Amino acid sequence: MRVVIAEDDALLREGLAMLLASEDIEVAAAVDNAADLLGALAAHAPDALLVDVRLPPDFRDEGLRAAVEARTRVPGLPVLVLSSYVEDSSAAELLQDGAGGVGYLLKQRVGKVNEFVDALRRVAGGGTVIDPEVIAQLLVRRRANDPLHRLTPREREVLGLMAEGHSNTGIAERLVISDGAVNKYIRNIFSKLDLPPSESGHRRVLAVLAYLKA
Amino acid sequence: MSVVDVRTRFLASCRATRYLVTDLGLGLLALITFAAVTAAAALTPTGVGLAAVPPLTSWTRRLASRQRRRAAALLGTPVPERYQPLEGALSRRVRTALSDPAAYRDVAWLFVHGVAGTAAGYLALALPLFAVNAFTVPLWWQAVPGTSLLGYSIDSWPAALSGIVIGLGYALLSLLVPVPLAKATARLSRVLLRPPKQAQLAAVSAARAAALEAHELELKRIERDLHDETQNRLVAVLMNLGMLERALAEAPEPAQRLAVRAHEAASDALTNLRKVVRTIHPPVLTERGLDGAIAALAASSPVSCAIAVDDFPRLPAAVETAAYFAVAEALTNLAKHSGATSAQVRLRTETEFLVVEVEDDGRGGAGARPGGGLAGIDRRVAALGGRTMLISPPGGPTVVRVELPCGL
Repeated sequence: MRVVIAEDDALLREGLAMLLASEDIEVAAAVDNAADLLGALAAHAPDALLVDVRLPPDFRDEGLRAAVEARTRVPGLPVLVLSSYVEDSSAAELLQDGAGGVGYLLKQRVGKVNEFVDALRRVAGGGTVIDPEVIAQLLVRRRANDPLHRLTPREREVLGLMAEGHSNTGIAERLVISDGAVNKYIRNIFSKLDLPPSESGHRRVLAVLAYLKA
Repeated sequence: MSVVDVRTRFLASCRATRYLVTDLGLGLLALITFAAVTAAAALTPTGVGLAAVPPLTSWTRRLASRQRRRAAALLGTPVPERYQPLEGALSRRVRTALSDPAAYRDVAWLFVHGVAGTAAGYLALALPLFAVNAFTVPLWWQAVPGTSLLGYSIDSWPAALSGIVIGLGYALLSLLVPVPLAKATARLSRVLLRPPKQAQLAAVSAARAAALEAHELELKRIERDLHDETQNRLVAVLMNLGMLERALAEAPEPAQRLAVRAHEAASDALTNLRKVVRTIHPPVLTERGLDGAIAALAASSPVSCAIAVDDFPRLPAAVETAAYFAVAEALTNLAKHSGATSAQVRLRTETEFLVVEVEDDGRGGAGARPGGGLAGIDRRVAALGGRTMLISPPGGPTVVRVELPCGL
């Protein structure tokens, strides 16, 4: 796997490069601003991007903007975005095109080295990984007209785990239930959220998107 | 009147009498201060008078503030206070004190309350004493014949016994008079001590708007420093510790344990740092605006909470942050202590002030503890030139009112 890193903090950028190298992930380029990120995208055609939300010059959401732009240039390009703080609208924005291959994690998750690398691999494989803290925040902010009210608590729990990027088997292990039961919950979620029958990976992304936008 | 009725009236009258006696004390102080102010004005040509202006102003403000709080508590409605801060060199303080329209209204209040408050207090104090005096005339008139407070000389038993009737009259008066009298003096103080509308308009604005903008930039700079510098360093430390932990997989157990512990400590530090940054400027404000952020607070409050947010443009970040935390703190407090079943949050702009009110239907009688949450809010609000009021008569309702200059 070949990755381009965009992170303005030198220490962190080099640390990330070293970490990925030790995992046999090739770092095609490590840049410190949004323009160079788009340049490296054209030059190296990486398999995935690892991007800090805040980049120079204004340290607002230049990284996020660049990631969205990169995905319009290369549809479905896997992008894992790292953020200093939780902002659920950012995650929703990335998922907007419905193509999957998107991750949104708090920066400090890189400390759990194995889990972080695992998350990057899942995103590169087209999966969706949303930080548990985003999920927690969304749960306390439910509004009255929320379509997710149609879901049972258990179904919401399953949807939350889907958003964190767990596979059906992973969800089954966490909740100590059978794969078949997980499948049933997920079918219920799809039908309650009126998601059209199509290839299931795509529907999974749409379900997570509904969850984030509610 | 039933027994219960008399008892309630008696207690209310006792409270009002106590209020009026304090009015008497404050009235005497006001008269002395008014005399000092007059003397200072007369001495102005010598320069001595000018030097006395700042201390006299501070003292007058203290008296007036005290009276505002008392009147607000008695009437159950806030009496706003608005002073220009006395700061800097003596000449600057003198100029500020003399240019503050509130100063002249305060001096007028000194005189009016000095006369009216003293008279009302004297009356409230005298009525029960007269009652006791008249009641007890039959007991002592023979010992000191000819003297009495009744206005006629007591020289026979019938005259002495008439004292009982007059005593009853005084007792009735001291039961009925103090409550309306206390309200009257409180209203008089409120009229004189609240800032006139045009003063609210004229104050500050331009300078304050600039100060708020500078403050906002400063907040954003601190927030950015913490996120982009401190947090990145800590994340780098955390990542290195993560790799170290992995490298130590084969190492002896104590080394592994140390690495895990260091990892946990750094992780905690990061979580705390994010919390701190949130209190400087909560991201929810940027995401949803003040009304959205307030709605989120109301939705997560355990007490059922209605909100009324007027339409106004985005305010300076520092003002929105202070308003947000004031509401958060007030909602937390009322959920914990008031026993309220419902609450109301109101936000509106009055001239160039943002007014935030949180009202609950709880038991009232709340006081601000030093070092408590409300004191923290007050510090934050005062730093922006605003003020915080807690109006909580026993039995409720409790209102926390915050006024913030918003540079509009």
